[in-house]
Order: sequence, then C-alpha cells, then structure tokens
Amino acid sequence: MKKQTIGSLKQLRKKENRMGYLFASPWLIGIIVLGAFPILASFYISFTSYDMSSAPQWVGLKNYIILFTNDDVFWKSLWNTIYHVVIAIPLGLIVGIILALLLNNKIKGMSIYRTLFYLPCVVSIVAMSLLWMWLFQPQFGIINEVLSPIYNLFNMEPILWLQSSSTSKITLILMGLWTAGGSMVIYLAQMQDIPTSLYESAEVDGANWIQKTFRITLPLMTPSIFFNFIMGIIGGFQVFTIAYIMTNGGPAQSTYYYAYYMFDKMMSDQAMGMASAMAWILLVIVLIVTMFALRLNNKVVYLGEEG
Amino acid sequence: MKKVLLMLLVIVASITLFSCGDKESERTEITFWHMSPVGDVSYSSVKQLITDFNDSQELYFVKGVGFSFWDYWDKINVAVASSTAPSIGLSTIDDVVSRAESGVIYNISDLMAADTSGVNTLDLSEFRQSQMDFATYEDDLYAMPFSATTRALFYNLDMFEEMGLTEADVPTTWSELQTIAKMFDVQEEDGTITRIGFDPTYGDTTYHGWLWQAGLDFFDEDLNPTLNTPEHLEVLNWILDFNEDFTRTQLTAFGEANAMLGVNPFTSERVAMIVSNDGLYQTINTSGADINYGVAAIPVPDEDGIHVCWGSGFSLEMYDNGDNTDAEVAGAYEFYKYLLSESVQLKLGESLGWLMSHISAMETYVEGDPILETLLGEVDYAMDKVYVPYAPAWHASDWQTYYTQIMDGDLTPEAGLLAARNHYLQKQENYNTLNE
Repeated sequence: MKKQTIGSLKQLRKKENRMGYLFASPWLIGIIVLGAFPILASFYISFTSYDMSSAPQWVGLKNYIILFTNDDVFWKSLWNTIYHVVIAIPLGLIVGIILALLLNNKIKGMSIYRTLFYLPCVVSIVAMSLLWMWLFQPQFGIINEVLSPIYNLFNMEPILWLQSSSTSKITLILMGLWTAGGSMVIYLAQMQDIPTSLYESAEVDGANWIQKTFRITLPLMTPSIFFNFIMGIIGGFQVFTIAYIMTNGGPAQSTYYYAYYMFDKMMSDQAMGMASAMAWILLVIVLIVTMFALRLNNKVVYLGEEG
Repeated sequence: MKKVLLMLLVIVASITLFSCGDKESERTEITFWHMSPVGDVSYSSVKQLITDFNDSQELYFVKGVGFSFWDYWDKINVAVASSTAPSIGLSTIDDVVSRAESGVIYNISDLMAADTSGVNTLDLSEFRQSQMDFATYEDDLYAMPFSATTRALFYNLDMFEEMGLTEADVPTTWSELQTIAKMFDVQEEDGTITRIGFDPTYGDTTYHGWLWQAGLDFFDEDLNPTLNTPEHLEVLNWILDFNEDFTRTQLTAFGEANAMLGVNPFTSERVAMIVSNDGLYQTINTSGADINYGVAAIPVPDEDGIHVCWGSGFSLEMYDNGDNTDAEVAGAYEFYKYLLSESVQLKLGESLGWLMSHISAMETYVEGDPILETLLGEVDYAMDKVYVPYAPAWHASDWQTYYTQIMDGDLTPEAGLLAARNHYLQKQENYNTLNE
C-alpha cells in the first residue's frame, strides 16, 4: 500500500514536471535558440575570418591580436567610450539625485512635476535625438539663440556643438542628462522609504537641510545610487544609438564609440569575425569594470545596521 | 495532456487544410526583393509589373517583397549570409565580384548559354560595357546592371539671369566655376551665410570624383593607397580654398542648416549651382519647386581635365542559397530576363524615376525632356568606384574621418592625406594577415 502511494507520487511528480517543461518550452527554446546559440556562435566566429557570404575560415587569435596591436581606430573608439562612461555616468547620478531631492517635497502639483521630469524617458530615442539636433543646430538652434548675446559680447563664433570634434562628445553627454528622470524615480522610491523618525530626531538635534541630506538621505540612498551606477556602467559601454542618429560617429570620429565601430566592422567592412572578437572584448571589459565596482559595495553602500 | 495534444493536432490540421487548394501554390514560387515597399509611390507600378508576369506564366509565380532603401541593405546582407536570400534581388554593382567569388550568386553567362528558348533573350548590346565590366568575374557575368546613375552640375537659370548671366556662361572649368560662383555669395552682418554660388563639398560631390577629373585616384592598379602625392594635395587644396572668403565654421553651419531644414539647398535656392545625381530631377518634380534650371557636365580642371563623374547603379542578381531547385532557378531566370526587357525597363524608369540600364528603353524615356536627355548623356561618362576588399567603405567612413578633419582645420592637408594613407595601409595589412 505504501509502495503504491510512493509510486503514484513519483508518477504525479513526473507528470507535473512534463507539464512544467511543456509550458516553459517557448521560453526555454527562445533562450537557447535566440540567446545561447548566438552567444556561442559569436565566440566561435571571433576566431575566424568571416565576410558573411563565404564560409568562416579559422584564424585562431589573429582577430584579437590585430585589434590590440594594429588597429588605431579600435583604441580611439575605446577611448571615446571610456570618456563617455567616466563623465556621463557620474554626471547622470548627480543630476538624478539633485532632481530627486528637489522633487521629494510635499508641495502642490508635485506628481505633475515628477511626471514631467520622467517624461523624456518614455520618448523614443530617435525622436529625442532629432529634437536635440534642432536645439543644438549652430545657425538657428534655440541654444545658440539664447547664447548669442554672450557670443556677441566676447566677439566669438557660435559653438558648433555636434559639428565640432572638440565639443561633440560633451554635447551628447549633456543631451543624455535629459533622461535623468529615469534614475530619479528610483531615488525617489528609496527616499520615501527613509523613516521620518530619523529626520524628526535630527531636527530635534538642530540639524539643517544640508546636514539632513548629507547625514541621513544620501547615506540611506546608497543602495539605489550603487544600482544606478552599475547599470550606468553597463549601458555606458554600449552607447551607440545617439551617435548613430545624431553624428554618424563624427566629426573626425570624435563620437565613434566602441559599439559603433563594432557595427561598422560587421556592416561596412564585412568582417564578422573581427566584430565578434570586439563583442567579446567588450564583455570582458564590462565584466572587469563591474567586478571592481561591486567591490565598492561593502565600502560605500549602506546595508543596514549589523547585529 | 490528451486535451493539449488534441488541440495541437487540430491546429496543425487546420493550417495544413487552409494552405491547400491555392492555385498559386501549384506553381514554383520565385521571390523578388525590391525597394518599393507598401506605401511608396512606386509600389503599385512594381506590383502591377509582377502581376503581369504572373498572369503570363503557368509554371512560375513571383512573390515580390518591397523594403525601403534604408532597410534593404541590412536585410539582403543578412539573408545572403544566412542562405535565405530571395531568388532575385538588387545589390550594388561595384562589389558584384566579391559575391561571385563567394559563390552566393548565379553565373549569368552560364544561364544565358543554357537558355535555348529564344524567347526574350538578354541582348547584351543594350547595356553599357562599363557597367557590365563591374559585374564580370573570371570572364563571366554574374549580374546585370539594373539601373544607372550619374552626377551632373545643376544650375539655377533664374539666379543666373539675376546676375546678368545666360546658359552660355555655365562654367566648364574649375576656374570658371570659382569665378561665377563668387557672384552669388550673400552673407548677413552677423556672418550667417544665406546663399552661396557653389561649394565643392556640397551635394553629391566627392573627393574621389574631383580626383578622377584630374586623372588621379585613391588606389593604384594593385589597390595600394596612393593618395598623398603633390597632385592629390593640389586637388584637396582647391576644394579647401574654393570658398576662402568664408570660414569653415560658416560653411559647416550653412550646410548643417540645409540638412536640418530638410531642404535641398538647390531647390530652396540657397545655392546657385550644385553637383547632384539624377535623383535631384525627381526631387524637383515631386517637390513642385518652381525653378528654372539646367543641367550640364561637371566642370573639369583647366588643364588636362577629364570628363568623368562617379556613377553607379544597382545590379540585378540571382542568389544561390545552395538548395534551389532547377525549377526555381529556371523560373527566376525567366523573371530576370523579364525585368531586363526593354518594355519593362521603360515602365520601371517611369514608375521608379530612376535611369535604368537598358539603353534603348532609356532613350525612349528621356525623349523630349532636355534635362533628362543631358543626364542620360552623362551616364556615358560615369565611372564606378573600385571595390577594395580590405576597405569596402573606403570612400565613406574610412575617408570621411580625415576629410572632415582637413576641412575643419584640425589636420593640415598634408598630414590628413598621410594619415589617411596610413589608415588604408593598416587595413590592408590586417586584411592580408587574416586572409593569407
């Protein structure tokens, strides 16, 4: 009787497992076919010379060696990307935090302000890019119109923004701040979680707004700041779309980011092997940077009181 | 579990039943990718041409798929790479050789030799040898020219008249071009340019186009980069100094303004003369711009100038996915011949607004239109860019980096040309390392 019960339970479990796999199969097939296979295929292709029409030819580590030792554009694109990450990520964090602090007040119509600041995040990146191209247009863009008295005062030529290699990178970074509302929402959510008793105690002790911000708010926000920092690094190294739409990587390759060069290696140079090698190098770079960043976790992030 | 299996069975059976009994499915399906997607003005005409072919066939059925010009290239490249290419498609004629070498397109010479039907055979004398040379690999044709493009000087006759000039004053040499162009320059007090006569970097001008007119090129016969000789430098300096009355900042801002406004500087009368391809003729017509203009050959250097311009065209190719049946190949070739026949080429020219490759068809098409007649005449002077395996985009992203820096003054012309040459040499070395 007991054996029968165990046997039927096993059968029931098997049946349940089968049904589970059946219902999960679309997802499982998707991740294997659309995820795992291309990743493994790109790893293999990175060791080949492959022009996408002939069969791939095994070349061993040559793609990697060429990229590191005899490709000036590779280093240039990597430098452009690191420049973007190093400036855009901290700046984005600061602007996001400032916005969150400003919008964490109980004044009338606050939800409208929050919506307005978040709105750019739901705008299509293509539409956003086109809009900012108009704003930054040197001859009739509104930004230069506003700055024209300054240009006249100092008798200087208008800034060319996206059209000059000296200002194009920073212009794209400034434009990216427009979407700081995305991280602001996360900061706001964490701010709302901070117990009001902490502020009340601080007020009793005579703390002013700055002291409360730097001693209570910011330390308790470090988990969300750290989250945005890590996500920013990962996203920053993949920067591509804004340069593709707004500058075509120019002028003079000043906005020719790593992902853009990888795209061109594949589409323009028909060098899929080299492009795949670049993808794997990028993966390793992002992994290393993220690992170092994660080491900061215990040092700068507030994880609650011990004991 | 049984219910689930039963439901799956019903779905599969339904799909199978619904797909039966279609007359079209009894014929061999041929796929044709073109650049007239749904919503495009030429969509109906191209669809009608395909329908006409299908109505005349008992064995074959063509399914046309249209993509926009901008989407087409990624789609066809990926399809060829994954052996899912259409039976017939368009591509760029200058790199046919690379696809022929890879074995992804059919040998058209073989198909012509095997075609004993005598019906609608390909008449090679109706196509330009200069274009067919680009489609030839190891003495065999692997594609046929489908369309032809050219570049010419468009000049605004109303603006000429305003300056007391006539068509007799249309420049034919570089120095004449510079002298006449200066007459049209207008700038505001704050330095904003509102009109210029001409700029050798605007429109469809290219550095290699100017080089060809001076008998120079980017590469030698062995495809080694040769672009920093004193003669190359002279051409580059001519371009750089053409509008020396303006700063590069002014010129960049002016050019950028045209792009942002979405207007063609010629149709909006912001430039008096511009080098453009034959597409500008269609742009002027479709935009309804009311301008009195003419077209002429692009001016050439004063001494030993060569009448030549960069012209290309689409190639018509039959793709070999490795699993095509004989019936599919035969059907595709029938449709291939149909697309290159005189009457269809004429209809395609009328509907697409392109200059097609069929000489007689285009002579009929342009008859009575002096602008089109001149443009067609310029096709005979058109030369395509060479395909460089180690730098397929040598004229675009590779060169533009240095060209922009030279124009912006970030690099001297000498340094820019040397840097560009070194860049090509590095790409050549890397390509050879990978393919040795």
